[in-house]
This record gives sequence, structure tokens and C-alpha cells, in this order.
Amino acid sequence: MSQNSNRLEIDIGSTYFKIGTNGKTNQYFRDFTTNIYNDVKNKCGEIISKYKKNDIFICSSANGGLSTLIIGISSLFSIKYATNIAFNSGINIIDTLLYSKIDEAIPPKEIIDVVIIAGGIERVKSKFDNRLLEYLKEVKYSNIVYVGNGTDREFLKSNIDNLVILENIIDNRLQIREDELKEYLTNLYQNDIVGKEEIKKLYSITSNQIYSTPYIVNRSLPKLRSLYDVADPFLVIDIGGATTDIHYSTDLVVNKNILTSSSYDRLVFKKLGVYKSRESLVFGAKNNEFVYELLDYLMVNENILEEDTLKATTILMQLAIFLVLYQVSKNSNDYISLKLDILNSIVVTGGVSKVLSQDDIDKIVRFFYKKILHFDTIPAIIIDREYKIWTLGMKEVHSV
Amino acid sequence: MRVVTGVVGNDIHVVANRLIEISLKERGFEVFNLGVNTYLEEFIDAVIETDANVLLISSLNGEAEGWSRDLLFLKSRFDLDGVLFVIGGNLSVGEAKEEEIIPKYKAYGYDLVFHQVDLNVGLDIIEDTLKGKR
Repeated sequence: MSQNSNRLEIDIGSTYFKIGTNGKTNQYFRDFTTNIYNDVKNKCGEIISKYKKNDIFICSSANGGLSTLIIGISSLFSIKYATNIAFNSGINIIDTLLYSKIDEAIPPKEIIDVVIIAGGIERVKSKFDNRLLEYLKEVKYSNIVYVGNGTDREFLKSNIDNLVILENIIDNRLQIREDELKEYLTNLYQNDIVGKEEIKKLYSITSNQIYSTPYIVNRSLPKLRSLYDVADPFLVIDIGGATTDIHYSTDLVVNKNILTSSSYDRLVFKKLGVYKSRESLVFGAKNNEFVYELLDYLMVNENILEEDTLKATTILMQLAIFLVLYQVSKNSNDYISLKLDILNSIVVTGGVSKVLSQDDIDKIVRFFYKKILHFDTIPAIIIDREYKIWTLGMKEVHSV
Repeated sequence: MRVVTGVVGNDIHVVANRLIEISLKERGFEVFNLGVNTYLEEFIDAVIETDANVLLISSLNGEAEGWSRDLLFLKSRFDLDGVLFVIGGNLSVGEAKEEEIIPKYKAYGYDLVFHQVDLNVGLDIIEDTLKGKR
């Protein structure tokens, strides 16, 4: 078989995988009766055989991501800083615990991949005590890392087995310090990918490192203007089968008290997807106070949510866009609020871009801006139908 | 001694904020300046993260009254014994009598209240109060 001189890029998602070469991207629905490696080989074996191992580049979000429990002493500094670093390191599932409430907290039942403990600038009086040790006895975790004040370091080190100690994420000016924790979490994520049997097998077709998809997407953002006519501040919405990621210009953040090295942050809606997380998406939609008005506006009723048709998928994807915008608006008190009133561009990517038309997306964004923000104009909407963002990110990471 | 300071609410009086920071540093305080447009919750959280001895909130446009009403509630959620809570600036919208304003803000949970008081006079009182507390 003749060798092709170009690159072959593969993205393994939870519902689809896609293969890109020579500027063209094809998407395949995953066959869940076989493992990822066999599925990729069965569908694309011929094209893969045309490339050398070092010309094949793979990223994956199919490992489900790492689960994280963050324990901090304040919501707006230690917990917020650690959460920001975790999201930007590709972590998907994040629970938080305010230390002052540890006595009444119920430990999570599932196994946590990594517990992060943070709190205080370097020189403060002790912030953690035996209550933390008692609580941790009830938590099943694989890794634990301390990124808090200097005073508690020895106490925690001598009382918690396998505790990894990194530099404090809060510096002495109360600013975020992200490098060490970010590197630690990114490596943990990489090890998790490699450790997963299904992903491990993919190394038989590539000699390059397999990165996480969110990391790849985030790396493309500073150069997004080379692809599309976008204006800062912008928001990238990546709706997939299991989760929805957003990447946003940090200028959009309300009450911004974090100054990071990157101008773009990431946030994950872990139960907002149109296939694997369909049930929780429907549940979330039904609990939104505007959903019936929205369905009426789209000229359907709630029965559509139970159907298995293309129309139903279209409506679900529109609902997902609405819910994402709603949850980051000032109407919601979740992790972050964005100034959607100054948003200039929305870029839609992921599986949703293959299904929704420009009109479908315009319509839902228009409803949101009119109903929630009382605006008559909406940001420019760009649909990344050919997954150019992902391709650009792959090129940035594996710089050619 | 550590001080957390900043301007509360939708108030962008950054010059006054910088003057307060400089004056505090001149007097030897370690200052954590949260800047303008700061929420009350952020002030409290900053005190917790830094073990600050003083929280010095300023307000120039009179908005502080609306923003201060949750102070007692927020203080009740954490162990903040020993922290000196101070507010200063122009503490009312329009004309108001000092003898009405000071009790009102003290009822909100502030230990010291300076309405239209010279900065250095206020800082002298803070230092004297801290000496008394030690």
C-alpha cells in the first residue's frame, strides 16, 4: 500500500468518531457492540493503512473524563480557582465542598479519581484539622493532591497516605497560580486515557501522544479568527453525545476575580448531551420555567421529547443550546455567569453542527435573547460544520 | 497586620481605592486590594483566605447601604471573631445625617463607620482600635 504524505487526524467521541484528512472530515456513529479500536479499524481500516504511524494524530473524549472533588475554604477563591484549573485541564465531573460545611457533608458514594484540597495564602493560621481526615476516611478516591497554604502542609502530609503536594494555587497577592496543578491534572487525564484498555489499543496505529479533545479545542481558540469571521468576546458551544463543553473569552465573566495566562476558559455540562445523556437533557429541559413557551415557539409540544425522530433530535439540540445559554446567564446561580449582553459571536461545533441548520440555531438564540435578555439583536452565529476548530487545534498541538 | 480592601457594589471609584491602598501600605499594612465593583461575598472570602485583621470597604457613590444588608448573615457563616469590619466613604445617596448613618451601618455589622471622614483620620482610628484590640 502506498504511503500518503499528509496527516490523518482522528477524534474519538462518546457517540461518534471522526476522521480528517486533506481538509475533509468524515464522521461515523460508534458501534457500541464492539470496542473503539475494532470499530475504527472496521470502518476506516483501509484509509488508516495508507498512513505511517507518526502521521496519525488522535485525540479522545471517550474515556468519560476524570471525576474530581474539590475541598476549599471559600467559594470565590480556593474552590473557584481549583475549579477553573480543573475545567481547563480537561476534567469533566466536578463536585465541591466548602470546608466550613464539612460536618454536615455526605461523602460521595462513587469512586473519585482525584480529590483536590485548597485554601489560604501561604502564611496563614491552620485551616484544616481532624474533621478533614475523618471525612476523607469515608471517601473512596484514587488520587489526592494538596494545593493550599504552607501551614497545613506537614499536618496533612503526615496524616494522608499518598498525598501529592504541589505549590499553592493562591499566591500572596490572592491571585491564581495554575501551572503545577494544571500540569498534574493534565497528566492524570492523559494517564487515564492511556490506562483505558480501549484507548490503549489505539497506540498500535499511532506513535504520537493521544490528547484529550477539550485540550485540543482550547488550543485552537486564540487563532479562531484565522478560520472564521469571529469577534471577541466569543463563545464556542460544543454539544456532543454525552456532554456539552463551552469555551468562552474570559472577558465575558461577571465578577471576574481570576487572572489566568489563557484568555479562554472551559466549562462542562456533564449531563447535557443528545444521545448518551438524552434523559438528563430532557429532565433539565422539563424543569426549566421557559421550556413550554419555547416548545410552543418552535411549534411542537412536550411529546416530541419522547420521540425518536430527526425532528425530535433537532428540538433536543435546540433545547441544549437554550439550556447552555440559560445556565451561564445571570438568571442562573451556577458556577459561572457570563455577560451575554456583550457577546459578539457564538460558534457552534460538535455533533450538533451536522444536524441543525443556520435557521434552527438563529431561531433558538433569538428566543433566548428576546425572552431572557430582552434584546432584539443577537450575536453573529457561526457553524463549524467541517470541524475546522478541531483540525486547527490538532495542528497547533502537533505543530506542523 | 493584613487588610482586605476594595470598593463595594457597582462603584468604579478607582482613584480613591488606589489612595487607600497606598496609604495603608505606607502605614505598614499588608494589603489585599480587590479593586472596584466588588461583591460583599468576595470581601468575606478574601478575609478567610488571607487571615486578614481588617476588612476595609469603601463606597463613594452611596450604594453601600444596599450591599451591606447581608453582612451579618455572611459573618455568621464563618468564624470571623477578631476581624475589624470597617466601612468608609460617602455612605448615603443624597443628604444624610451622620448620627443616623453610623448606627445604621453598625447594625449591619460594621465595627467602625466613617461617613465623609478624611482618609488619614479614619486610618488613625483604625490603628488605634487595633492597638486596643491587641
